[in-house]
Amino acid sequence: MHLHSEVDEQLLRDTFDKFIGKIMQLPPVRSHVKRQYRQREIYYSDILEINGRDVLFKVGVESGTYIRKLIHDMGEELKVGAHMVELRRTKVSTLSEKDNLVTLQDLDDAVYFYEKENDDKLLNKCLDSIESAVDFIPKVFISDGAVDPVCRGSPLAVPGIVKFNDFGKEEVVGIMTLKGELIALGKAVMSADEIKSFKKGIAVKTDSVIMKIDTYPKYEKIN
Amino acid sequence: MKLPLEDFKHEIFSLREEETDSRYGKAPKDRSISERINYGFILLDKPAGIRSKTAAYIAKNIMTGLGAKKMGYSGTLEY
Repeated sequence: MHLHSEVDEQLLRDTFDKFIGKIMQLPPVRSHVKRQYRQREIYYSDILEINGRDVLFKVGVESGTYIRKLIHDMGEELKVGAHMVELRRTKVSTLSEKDNLVTLQDLDDAVYFYEKENDDKLLNKCLDSIESAVDFIPKVFISDGAVDPVCRGSPLAVPGIVKFNDFGKEEVVGIMTLKGELIALGKAVMSADEIKSFKKGIAVKTDSVIMKIDTYPKYEKIN
Repeated sequence: MKLPLEDFKHEIFSLREEETDSRYGKAPKDRSISERINYGFILLDKPAGIRSKTAAYIAKNIMTGLGAKKMGYSGTLEY
């Protein structure tokens, strides 16, 4: 954050504390959502460094919070104005920059060593399984026989489900095999409670399929 | 300094016990590198100044030599 004028440090710290908890925010003029005030929660906000008019801080916010706007609003509150200079995401859901964060150069090096010198140590570090990208979403685990139809895009019905997490209607869910592989992402047609009580019917609509067809055999061939 | 869902664990409800046939598929942790090239995930540190899409495109170009077919990205920081 860059302040447009000198500000008393204590006042600055107090203002930061004011912007913790629930705040109202108007999306910026150029935004992809409707411009109306909406409530967002700021979980924490800590000043790391103050250097003249520049302030470095770390903030944990609800999804859909505009940081540029947050800084602008803090500037207004301080009556001097402020704008954002740089922004970096340090963590999101289960992922953080403390994990195996790789730069494009790291990736290029890793691929070079793997291709030219048959050394997979670096690439092993860079490449995680696709499942870690969907760690945070609720999942349904389905029996082997139901995998092939889902791979071909057919919706998932209740009899195919073996176990599942808690989720509501319309929520995005990951459709997984019993081995824990991601097959596809879908939208829940039934909530988790409905799946418990119904014996049949479509539970999840398949949206995007990740697993290749023929990884699992057709249903008839399993039995 | 933790986000509310950072340590969140999903509860599991079981409808029945069922075995999975080890002949098909493979648990994610047993996947080899060459398999992970097309079922993989990279946590990329995007340099400032280029678009996410460009970064994904460059990453894809780096990986195509190894047989990677598709690459996408997720997570928007602004807009």
